[in-house]
Amino acid sequence: MASVVFDSIYKSFGSTKVLHGISLDISDGEFMVLVGPSGCGKSTLLRMLAGLEDITGGTIAIDQRVVNDLDSKDRDIAMVFQSYALYPHMTVRENMGFSLKLRKESVRRIAEGVDRAAKILNLEPYLERYPRELSGGQRQRVAMGRAIVRDPKVFLFDEPLSNLDAKLRVAMRSEIKALHQRLKTTTVYVTHDQVEAMTMADRIAVMNEGRIEQLGEPLELYDRPANLFVAQFIGSPAMNVFEGTFRSNSVEALGARWPSTARAAEGQSVRYGIRPEHLSLGGEGIPGEIEVVEPMGAETEILVKVAAQTFTVMTHGRASFAPGDKVRLAPQAGHAHLFDASSGRRI
Amino acid sequence: MKKRFTKEAVLVLLAIPILLWTLLPIYHIFLFSISSKDSAFSGALWPDKPTLRNFGTIFRQEQFYLHHFWAQIWNSLWIAVAAGAITLAVAACAAFSISRLKVKGGRAVMNLALFTYFIPAAFLAIPMYKAMGMYGLLNNRWSLVLAMVTLAAPYAIWVLKQASDKLPVELDEAAKIDGATPLQLFRLVYLPLMTPSLIAIGTYALLLAWNEYLYAYLLLSHEQTIPLAVALGHFIAADDSPWELLMATGLVYALPPAAIYYAFRRYMVSGLTTGAVKA
Repeated sequence: MASVVFDSIYKSFGSTKVLHGISLDISDGEFMVLVGPSGCGKSTLLRMLAGLEDITGGTIAIDQRVVNDLDSKDRDIAMVFQSYALYPHMTVRENMGFSLKLRKESVRRIAEGVDRAAKILNLEPYLERYPRELSGGQRQRVAMGRAIVRDPKVFLFDEPLSNLDAKLRVAMRSEIKALHQRLKTTTVYVTHDQVEAMTMADRIAVMNEGRIEQLGEPLELYDRPANLFVAQFIGSPAMNVFEGTFRSNSVEALGARWPSTARAAEGQSVRYGIRPEHLSLGGEGIPGEIEVVEPMGAETEILVKVAAQTFTVMTHGRASFAPGDKVRLAPQAGHAHLFDASSGRRI
Repeated sequence: MKKRFTKEAVLVLLAIPILLWTLLPIYHIFLFSISSKDSAFSGALWPDKPTLRNFGTIFRQEQFYLHHFWAQIWNSLWIAVAAGAITLAVAACAAFSISRLKVKGGRAVMNLALFTYFIPAAFLAIPMYKAMGMYGLLNNRWSLVLAMVTLAAPYAIWVLKQASDKLPVELDEAAKIDGATPLQLFRLVYLPLMTPSLIAIGTYALLLAWNEYLYAYLLLSHEQTIPLAVALGHFIAADDSPWELLMATGLVYALPPAAIYYAFRRYMVSGLTTGAVKA
């Protein structure tokens, strides 16, 4: 187990700069998720930590030791790839024991290590099979087993669940989380799926265009997004955002006044954000018209049009609306977010 | 249904003349080799008295041109196996370093390999003769082996590089993180996964050397060092060529490649086409 410290990390591919000075401290035993849209540099950052990409500038330290010039194998890390990257010509047992074999461990030690990992992951019945004879979820578990066997200081996961179907993804999510709670190994996990990030992370680093937009615990990011990007990236369905002008405790926009307990300067141009579950439909509020009703059983997602803007509203239980119905939209003032219209920063 | 039938009928109609065209010379060789000297040119589709005596003559080396038959077929085999093995080793290392280790100048090497196709092998025969002479390798089996490796390697590198490119890069990265050195990666991951392509390319180089005539004729001239292909050519030098023996020897000479191809046909098709087209 170990801490991981990124200190002003820069990365360029030729003349293209992809990381602009990333600093990030990951403490011992922490589950850190790097999340962001594709091309934001999160995988590059992970691959630099793994030693698969050169570091253009800055330092990376694992367990207080700078690893910039160390080979991957000397960094004491293990990585799980999106494509599993299992060796097709080796059995599950050989795949999992490969790193120990390269370390010239004794046959007995290798067998012990593999058996221990196989037990943790319920892979015992499959040890003599080849990867092609396994399902996607089993392959993913073998990939994790290969990482566990090494007993590394840091686990690296590069979008490990992206190749699985939706149901299996949810199951594996819990499995990885349970594994982390059991082994307590420092983990860096890269994903573009904000739901994965929210459900698994101790802390999340939201990345965009080679920078960290915000770093914090999942609910902290959800409740107090630092800027518009984080506000719209975290949360599903996404936050409703529109432009308006702040006037005496509310925001003037779309021909109505939107209440807010957050304060901006009088007459300031702002962006008003409100999450779908903080909007309710009732007798009072801003007039609108129902566009689409999407019942999901426990919840109902309703799209409501106010002026030219479509709002997503999330209500618990069932809703007895039909498209075309006239309704009134009531935002909860305490949950409104205000962002500066030009910089996008939280006010 | 009817359309499919018509299509197959056309294919069969095309296949029959092509098959006859291909098999006729081989049948001709076979016919000669089981005929006695007198009846060889009778023009019949089947000899009056088919005989295997020609093969006995060959195996017992009972004819002037065949006095070194066993030595010469051994030369052919030795040269073919050596050329196949060396080409394979050179091409596998080159493809691995260009495709997997991404060494600098890899692209240039690939382009040069492609460029060699623009020069017909016959053009290089004289320079090659001169070079081998300078190294004192004339009349040495190694000269032909080296020449064949030179001719086969560019194509071999090209095909193996294309096949290597298809292996997912994550495998290398996983092995790297698992602690593999480039050599371990080559031995434990790369070679096992490349086996079909390696067999195909090895067979290709082996058959190329086995069938070679021009370079063998130029570089080797001693009765004891020439491969059987060149020895077969000597038959024609005589005024009354023993055609039936020539053909019988030719038939014997053609059997090993046929056997090899048959044994590895599965790899030949899959190995030579992998990487040829981006799937």
